Amino acid sequence: MLAQVFAVIIFIAMFVFIVTEIVERHIVSLVCAMLTVILVFGVGMHSMTAVIETINLKSIFTAGFWYLSGEAGESSAGINWETILFIFGMMVMVEGMARVGFFRWLCMRIAKLVRYQVIPLFVTFMVLSTVLAMFIDSITVILFLAAVTIELSQLLKFNPVPMILSEIFCANLGGSATMCGDPPNIIIGTSLGYSFTDFVTNTGLIAGISLIAVLVYFYLIFGRELKASAAEVIDYDSLPSPESTITDKKGFIVSSVIFAVAIVLLVTHAQTGLTVSTIGMIVAVATLASSWKYAAALLRKVDYKTLLFFIGLFVVIGGLEQTGILEIMAAFIGRISGGNVMVMIAIIIWLSAVASAFVDNIPFATTMIPIIKSLSAAYGVDLSMLAWTLAMGTDIGGSATPIGASANVVGIATAAREGYVIKWGQYCKKMMPATVIVVLLSMVIIYVRYL
Amino acid sequence: MEKQLIISVGREYGSGGHEIADRLSKHYGIQLLDHNLLDEIAAEKNLDMQHLRGLDEKHRSRLASRTVRGYSSSPEENLYLLQFDYLKNKAASGESFVIVGRCSETILKEYDSLISIFVLGDRDRKIERIMRLYELSREQAVWKIREKDMKRRRYHNGHCDRKWGDSRNYDISINSSKLGIEGTTALLADYIDKRQYDSYH
Repeated sequence: MLAQVFAVIIFIAMFVFIVTEIVERHIVSLVCAMLTVILVFGVGMHSMTAVIETINLKSIFTAGFWYLSGEAGESSAGINWETILFIFGMMVMVEGMARVGFFRWLCMRIAKLVRYQVIPLFVTFMVLSTVLAMFIDSITVILFLAAVTIELSQLLKFNPVPMILSEIFCANLGGSATMCGDPPNIIIGTSLGYSFTDFVTNTGLIAGISLIAVLVYFYLIFGRELKASAAEVIDYDSLPSPESTITDKKGFIVSSVIFAVAIVLLVTHAQTGLTVSTIGMIVAVATLASSWKYAAALLRKVDYKTLLFFIGLFVVIGGLEQTGILEIMAAFIGRISGGNVMVMIAIIIWLSAVASAFVDNIPFATTMIPIIKSLSAAYGVDLSMLAWTLAMGTDIGGSATPIGASANVVGIATAAREGYVIKWGQYCKKMMPATVIVVLLSMVIIYVRYL
Repeated sequence: MEKQLIISVGREYGSGGHEIADRLSKHYGIQLLDHNLLDEIAAEKNLDMQHLRGLDEKHRSRLASRTVRGYSSSPEENLYLLQFDYLKNKAASGESFVIVGRCSETILKEYDSLISIFVLGDRDRKIERIMRLYELSREQAVWKIREKDMKRRRYHNGHCDRKWGDSRNYDISINSSKLGIEGTTALLADYIDKRQYDSYH
């Protein structure tokens, strides 16, 4: 009982500190992790086994961590090192691609392809945002896309805010389509043993259908404004050529090849048996080896704070798991739904969406994974269906408010630096309806396809 | 070429700090930047920023904003950064100006041409002034002063290491209630002239 009380207090305190940003979130999660080890596992449970299980270091030294000969396996409770290593590897690769000008080149190339016409640019940048976010983190996608959008808006004389808002939404939508798109999906995939293909054929399909709805929605609300504000005559000479954005030609080719290899490895990892941690390490090593002169600089740019945040978070959630709190929460959801699968799905998707609109979706999703596992076991509901429901709710819900997802924050800040300060009301008025449409659509697709 | 002069005026609400800043700008024939800073930025960027007026000199809400890798979603924070960049560029271009509040004493600290002033006042005199200017009751004036000063303190202390109104943060802190607006302005002009003279010789 004492351990449960400690676990809940630490968990709530962690959320409060993360939301209020009094201290940086990685410090909050690491301190809370330390308190979990001392108070929950030590004082409350007197269990060294719980500590060892949660720290989970031994998992790295098992063959299954790097290579799976059969079906994808579930990772044990505690720190999900597979997620940490994969994200680290992708961060190194993305930094390598950014260094050579890959993202800016891609944006400019597409802009040139559509001859800098505002509406085609608007549509293709939304699609580009979705596709890129399927493979790389949404922060990077928006960082480059928003910057190029602003640059083009100044040259082509249109208001960049509608385009940036649409790109943010699509980056979050793209993240939901694959296992590696958004951190909750990586955690869900590695924790429950789902592959890249599993995600693409389930959440990917939902995201694909949703993208069509989103394109129509954003065109209807922004199309006229964009058309009206765009310059009629375009001075092509003032526009930067895509080639001029490449800072290192050889490095560009190598980075593009590494990115392509990463995509192939991810798409085929269920067949090859390579785990995401192995893929992460392969792309990291390849990036560092191919640009060894810049290796130290690339490693310095890795967002270690996020990785540390993950480590602390997994320990705190481990505390809730080991003390049985999450099973109690699962039983509570089960009771409310009366064992009705449709109600259960509705609760999970809307609860996840609303929670993710206001708090970081990573701790939320991490907390919910053991809960859906318990629900599945207790009520005989298909676990994968609950996993896709959770993924869509957490990934899409974040789009609703300026604080819901990292991409929103980066997009808003990038626009603000050029004078386009976006207020809460302005943001929510356009993005909340889109979020509701996609969550609703996802719920209907899940009902139709799986029930 | 004329020597650059930047005067930063921090002020307690009701102390007449803004009026003193206005008089100093006229005295030296240099631009006054206060709430019009937003208009200046809007004109420079060719944007309409009227809807952001309510965010000026306000501190970000911790609950309604989030920071990711140094990027903030807070409109207040983003407006502060825009003003910060604008002031930095203006100072770097060698222009002279008077700037009211907006953490300018900290933002522009690196410039030798900066003279930072904090204007405070006696409580009763501040209440009287606010009652007179805005036709408020004593109670309403007290409330308004408390609210405005709290907002300025939060805004300043949220962005600067040193505390708002701490005399160690400014070149000169002065109580405007003792000499009145005119007397205080004259004294400050003397001080500024002396500083300008000293830096020439």
